[in-house]
Amino acid sequence: MELSEAYEALGSGMDGLSELEAQHRLEAYGRNELPQEAFSGLRVFLRQFNNPIFVILGAAAIIAGIFADVSQSVAIAIMIALSVTLGFLNEYRAEKTVQDLRRDVSVKAVVTRDGRVLDMDAALVVPGDVVSLYVGDIVPADMRILEAKELQLNESILTGESFPVEKTTAPLKLERATPQQLTNCLFMGTVVAHGTGKGLVIRTGKNTEFGSISKTLARPHPETEFQIGVRKYGNMLVTLTLFLATGIFVLNALVGHPVVDSLLFSLAIAIGLVPELMPAIVTITLSQGARKMADSRVVVKRLVSIEDFGNMDVLCTDKTGTLTEGNIVLDSYRSLDGLDDPKVLCHALLCNSAAVGERVVGNPMDSAVWKYALSNGESDCVKPYNILDTIPFDYERRMMSVAAEKDGDVLFITKGAPESVLARCTRQEVKGNEEPIDRALDSIKTRISEYSKAGYRVLAIAYRPIEKRASYSADDEKELVLQGFLSFTDPPKKDARQAIDKLMEMGVSSKILTGDNELVSVKICEDINVPVKKVVTGANMTRMSSNELRDAVEEATIFARITPEQKLEIIKALRANGHIVGFMGDGVNDAPALYESDVGISVDSAVDVSKDAADIVLLEKDLLVLSKGIEEGRKIFGNTIKYILMGTSSNFGNMFSAAFASVFLPFLPMLPMQILFMNLLYDISNFTLPTDNVDEEYIQRPKRWNIDFVRKYTLFFGPFSSLYDFLTYGIMLFIFAASPSLFQSGWFVESFWTEVLVIFVIRTRRIPFFTSRPGKWLTVLTIAAVAFGTIVPFTPLGGFLGFAPLPGEYWALMVLMVATYLLLVDAGKVFFYRICKF
Amino acid sequence: MLPYPDLFLWWVATITWSIVFLTLISIYLYVDSKKRREQQGQGLSKFVSDFVFVWILLGLLILYIVSIDRRSAVMFAVGNAVVEIILLAYVVRNRSLSSE
Repeated sequence: MELSEAYEALGSGMDGLSELEAQHRLEAYGRNELPQEAFSGLRVFLRQFNNPIFVILGAAAIIAGIFADVSQSVAIAIMIALSVTLGFLNEYRAEKTVQDLRRDVSVKAVVTRDGRVLDMDAALVVPGDVVSLYVGDIVPADMRILEAKELQLNESILTGESFPVEKTTAPLKLERATPQQLTNCLFMGTVVAHGTGKGLVIRTGKNTEFGSISKTLARPHPETEFQIGVRKYGNMLVTLTLFLATGIFVLNALVGHPVVDSLLFSLAIAIGLVPELMPAIVTITLSQGARKMADSRVVVKRLVSIEDFGNMDVLCTDKTGTLTEGNIVLDSYRSLDGLDDPKVLCHALLCNSAAVGERVVGNPMDSAVWKYALSNGESDCVKPYNILDTIPFDYERRMMSVAAEKDGDVLFITKGAPESVLARCTRQEVKGNEEPIDRALDSIKTRISEYSKAGYRVLAIAYRPIEKRASYSADDEKELVLQGFLSFTDPPKKDARQAIDKLMEMGVSSKILTGDNELVSVKICEDINVPVKKVVTGANMTRMSSNELRDAVEEATIFARITPEQKLEIIKALRANGHIVGFMGDGVNDAPALYESDVGISVDSAVDVSKDAADIVLLEKDLLVLSKGIEEGRKIFGNTIKYILMGTSSNFGNMFSAAFASVFLPFLPMLPMQILFMNLLYDISNFTLPTDNVDEEYIQRPKRWNIDFVRKYTLFFGPFSSLYDFLTYGIMLFIFAASPSLFQSGWFVESFWTEVLVIFVIRTRRIPFFTSRPGKWLTVLTIAAVAFGTIVPFTPLGGFLGFAPLPGEYWALMVLMVATYLLLVDAGKVFFYRICKF
Repeated sequence: MLPYPDLFLWWVATITWSIVFLTLISIYLYVDSKKRREQQGQGLSKFVSDFVFVWILLGLLILYIVSIDRRSAVMFAVGNAVVEIILLAYVVRNRSLSSE
């Protein structure tokens, strides 16, 4: 289709749609959004059953119903219903929170309407809109290309082919073409890898190519260290449970207990052992953390990354916007005479990729040139020129060029990194005259170095007259005349030092990864008093072996003049050294490193592809905000670990002693229904664990998932609970000569008290309550659960469950016994933490 | 007479085993710890003081077996109260060391 036909078909033109027409089309076609994988309560509900525990419970209910007692079957069914309801309500709230937070991160599009260039939310783009595209942009809709300058797209999201595809405006005559064949079209979700372009929007939202296949395009993230740890821990417990439950069943049957009772009892023990609440606790803890982080303007895109965020010990960040204000201002535009020269400024305006409309949009340095010229009334110099062609910037050449025509003469202007431009210059312009550059090279390099040492970012401007042609290319960037330099300032942030110190205090070392030269980077660090241990440049890195690089990444503070590939190498080397690495970046070149790091952090103003690759998006680019997020991540990790330690100590000990006793006692130490009831109460008491306070010293240093520590903890603290269970057996049997139901009641109350109350001891390394206060809701719910468990044997429900009222003397002994247990665990904690570190 | 007399020996065995198991685990962890390696050569007195916690456990074992054998709730209660005081003193005295 010819361009004119495309315009006509969509009722649009070069100036785009009118605002009014765009509004009508927005109403007609809807927002340019893919139907999100609908947030469905039903899905969350059904997910509750995707848990082996419900298979076991269901089996127990059926076995009880057929072979034992229908009332047991009903009781188990009620427990299933309660567990599902609790899990559903909490997970529903958690998922809703994350859905709401994700909306805060928006993708932008540069759209021309009524002839004006607007920077708007990509969701508002409609068919007929004219959209400008730059390197790093994610294409917001399906488009027919109107203009393309060395335009290359990464269409791997659609085709799986990671090599960029060249795009042109040329009409095609194809029938039933595949997206790969449509070289004059752009597709939603693909990324501009190179060049610039403009497109006319044809289809939006679910009508796009991406929309039609988006369900099959989800790219799985690699598992985080935390996920791997939780999975291994879960597998370990499930395996242990299988062996234990099978062993209990076989032994009970062998010693002559009824087979059905033995089966139900072993199933109940299995249910007691499996940490069925762990997925819900993890999700709730993470979502509550995400909500708190949102208050600090930190949006979590991938919940599970929060834990690694808290545990990261190295943060790699760029310089601009983190150590500096990120507000780049043109400071000077000097010729080689050392004076500001309007011709240098004018050439910088011509050789410029910023889009100038109501706002100046685009590359920060190009935008800074335009903002300076507009505010000082020096932008009219470009009017006589007509831009014939543009060779866009890329990270290999580190420069851009334009061919600009004025009065029939064509000037080829190049602007870019000084060393790159200088390498293509053969002459220099001094006081209006052109001279060979050779003899002046050293003094020019000294001048560039002085700019850098003073903390300026520098671009060189060069030109050469050139003949008029249909098109130009990077091959024309040769035999240039060096004209002058543009210097930019980006003042250091006042609180950058404080932020770096804060991260250091929290055990997170910061490394600066920048494309800027080392002199500017060192100067910025000096200005804000950040100690620089060592500087490694991209050139140094190319000469390093992988082992040398692994050493260098430990020592160096600044990596300067590095390429995107080198950023990736640094991240990989740090991870290979065993660090949990965070990477903060906002440029198109940062996307691979964002994806490779354990925690990819971007900012809301970043290019789309960076935001897309990031796990966490800061609505403000501020390291202080980051430290708050890290703190939250550590609290979340701390509370998750508490649940795991609870489960592996008291709960595990209780189930173990029940299993042991079942073999020797002439009756079951607790009926299956009683075990399930205790398990349900225990689960309820744990639901407020995510709101618990975390001790200050816990969040001071990053922590690592340590399965060896968990194993030792289980081995050491599990037997405490068993010891007091055995003691209770002794008291019930030999002091109270208990009947089976009295025995079961006594043990139910003791084991429930110890199992639930021990959280107040386990949750801290300090003296419980005196130097470490538990969270309000955790205290309230735990005490309420204990109170409920205490009165149950005296209620009709207790009768239904097979409990008998306990004598007053028992209560006195039990209070003393539980107090001794809690003190013993606390003393054990002192002993344990002296020899086992976490 | 003791109720369930045929279960008493079994009960003594289980509670003894749980405390012996705890003691063995404590020794294993102690031996396994880096800290212990750093403190090699500090002699028997250090070993004895580091294991106060284990001595308390063994004391508890005797208390529990004797008081239950005699069916004496009073002995059980008084013994527990004494052990709690000892544990409190241990916890308060050693807390600062553990948090180092």
